[in-house]
Amino acid sequence: MSVHSGRDPQNGSATALEIDDLTVAYNSKPAIWDIDLRVPEGVLMAVIGPNGAGKSTLIKAALKLIPRAAGTVRFYGQPYEHVRGLVGYVPQRGSVDWDFPTTVLDVVSMGLYGRLGWIRRPGQSERESAMHALEQVGMQDFADRQISQLSGGQQQRTFLARALVQDARIYLMDEPFAAVDAVTERAIITILRQLRARGKTVVVVHHDLQTAPEYFDWVTLLNVEIVATGPIATTFTPDNLRQTYGGRVAYLHEGQRIAGLEEE
Amino acid sequence: MFQLEDLIINLLLNFIAREDLNAFLRNPQHTATIVGSLIAVSGALLGTFLLLRGMSLTSDAISHTVLLGIVVAFILMGSVFGEHPDLSSVWLIVGAAAAGVATVLLTELIYRSGLVKQDAALGLAFPLLFAIAVILVSRVVSDVHLDEDAVMVGEIGVAWANTNSHCLDGCESVTITPEDPRAETTRQCTNCRSLGISPRDDKAEFTQICTNCGHYSPAQAWQAGFTSQEPVLVFWPKSITVMAVLTLLTLLAIVLFYKELKLSTFDPTLAAALGFRPTLLHYGLMVLVSLVAVGAFDAVGSILVVAFFIIPPAAAYLLTDRLPRMLLYSSLIGAVGAYTGYDLARGNLLGIADLSDILAALNNLFGLGLSERWDSSISASMVLMTFLFFLIAWTFSPKYGLVSTMLRRRNQRRSFDHQVVLGHIHHHQDSPAAGEELAVSTLYRHFRWTPAKMQRTLRQLRAGNLVRIDAGLVSLTERGETHAHQFRQTQLTNESVGE
Repeated sequence: MSVHSGRDPQNGSATALEIDDLTVAYNSKPAIWDIDLRVPEGVLMAVIGPNGAGKSTLIKAALKLIPRAAGTVRFYGQPYEHVRGLVGYVPQRGSVDWDFPTTVLDVVSMGLYGRLGWIRRPGQSERESAMHALEQVGMQDFADRQISQLSGGQQQRTFLARALVQDARIYLMDEPFAAVDAVTERAIITILRQLRARGKTVVVVHHDLQTAPEYFDWVTLLNVEIVATGPIATTFTPDNLRQTYGGRVAYLHEGQRIAGLEEE
Repeated sequence: MFQLEDLIINLLLNFIAREDLNAFLRNPQHTATIVGSLIAVSGALLGTFLLLRGMSLTSDAISHTVLLGIVVAFILMGSVFGEHPDLSSVWLIVGAAAAGVATVLLTELIYRSGLVKQDAALGLAFPLLFAIAVILVSRVVSDVHLDEDAVMVGEIGVAWANTNSHCLDGCESVTITPEDPRAETTRQCTNCRSLGISPRDDKAEFTQICTNCGHYSPAQAWQAGFTSQEPVLVFWPKSITVMAVLTLLTLLAIVLFYKELKLSTFDPTLAAALGFRPTLLHYGLMVLVSLVAVGAFDAVGSILVVAFFIIPPAAAYLLTDRLPRMLLYSSLIGAVGAYTGYDLARGNLLGIADLSDILAALNNLFGLGLSERWDSSISASMVLMTFLFFLIAWTFSPKYGLVSTMLRRRNQRRSFDHQVVLGHIHHHQDSPAAGEELAVSTLYRHFRWTPAKMQRTLRQLRAGNLVRIDAGLVSLTERGETHAHQFRQTQLTNESVGE
């Protein structure tokens, strides 16, 4: 099945990301299996599941960063290659060498390279956009800092600024909350909400069940296969979680979940 | 290549007389230094990206396997065109580039099997290709100028002698045919050798052969006396052209694709997501490395060339935090290393010491029978000098050098000692036990320090107006109070905030 119009047949709202029959395997062991997923435009969605559930794999396969064994992925009804400019990607912080000889501002400017295309160099206006993005994440004072001098949280905010500068319509973020301090966590969630307020779609690989209902309004529970996907209020249920984690979520109480939802 | 040399020579002749140009190029030092510097600059530029990609040793592998490319191209040229190319031929360079890419492909292939680790995969791939090359060299092209010495350390010292002669005036080339009146002929016995007879024997048969027929370049024609006007020539070392072209190509590629190379080196995943084809860039880089390796092969051999790729970037990495500066510094270090390396090969260490004198002194002192003439491998000396510069950067780099790191650690330790003492005084100065805890004479015991260390620390604290001593008791000054308070505020709160 495939829906090329970019419209969700059920409720008529635009679909930002649609994935059909997506399977990825590492050495014939499936990392994700037969994924069918619709992400409506304008949601702030968490992808949640245990270690090895294929959360990062799902994002990377959607962006064709790793080979797909089967399946199709469409952003706004188009294959990724046609709409690269609409998609912003935040890789895991640990995926790069932070001793690389460059500055924070330079790293943020890299988000604009896609728009510049081959050979053209970033100039004054690119520097200004990058500076503006740094201000949004509260890092403007670090613009000329060598990146190895950043704390983990500052690194993560730098990566976030690099995605913001792309001015995409949908953002895919791989564990932006992993091992960051409280200040950074607040800064990131504020920005994610601002993005949603501006009508952007944000997909976040998330590992903290406690904060999920507070931070997100949409959720996909994943464990190689999709367990459930939909609005967090109806999808983030103990039953679904138990199914996702195989009964290992003893600490998530019903009361906590409701408290989290009320805060929303 | 030849036309390019013409162009450069004509350009140079605007500034320098022909005789001076020839004299300049005929000096082995000049040609060796120019070629060495060009190798060093192109190697340093590419090596910077290799270093940052964590694949410095790939340059080592490629510098070996280009030999296979050279040999295969050599054999193919021989069987297809019936002629063997010389070492600066374009086809050899194409062959070398292909061999470089093949090395990386083969390594990837072995690694992707998932059965062998990355470094081992490289170690499997390149000796295989190198071994095939060595066997081909010895079996198939044993007549060619590719001896073990050349493979080991190259022949940069004689690079000046392998020239193209460019004719500027009086350029008359001559072809002598047997019909030419200038042709010299002689009778040659055609069956003497086969029959084992002397030419005087009756059975000997003779034929007329021409001894001086053939094509004469202007220089040869003048020497043989066929032309009346001496040609005006410039002798241009081939290796300068080859390395200059390769250096320009490297420079051009890095200037044009600087942004792409930087992004795909720092974050290949984002590069791929943005559509920048990191794999393509990767292989492009490998092709350039192969080209420079094969260009340098003739001059510095396949083993030492790797030093030109690795040492200058490693030194530059310690000196700066910015990629453009790292590219600049590593080029400079490479070039200066090549320049001073030539001198070292002749016994002159940076103009500071003459190694021959040192040898003589050793002979005098210990009665050793060492030869006092210092004349060693030029390429090896260039590597040694470059390494010396690395050593200097490693020791004295303002930010990452051994000395500054040591000083920084010592300062940290000292200021921590200060804080410990200040904290202790702050804690006890108004307590009932103050008289016992804060007596200058016994203070060291509370810390289990040596009295000397305590004395030193107190002296420093007093010099900084942080503590005062009254009647054998130590107490904080106002400044000391603020200091101790600040330390508690900033360092002892266990909250990791974004600065």
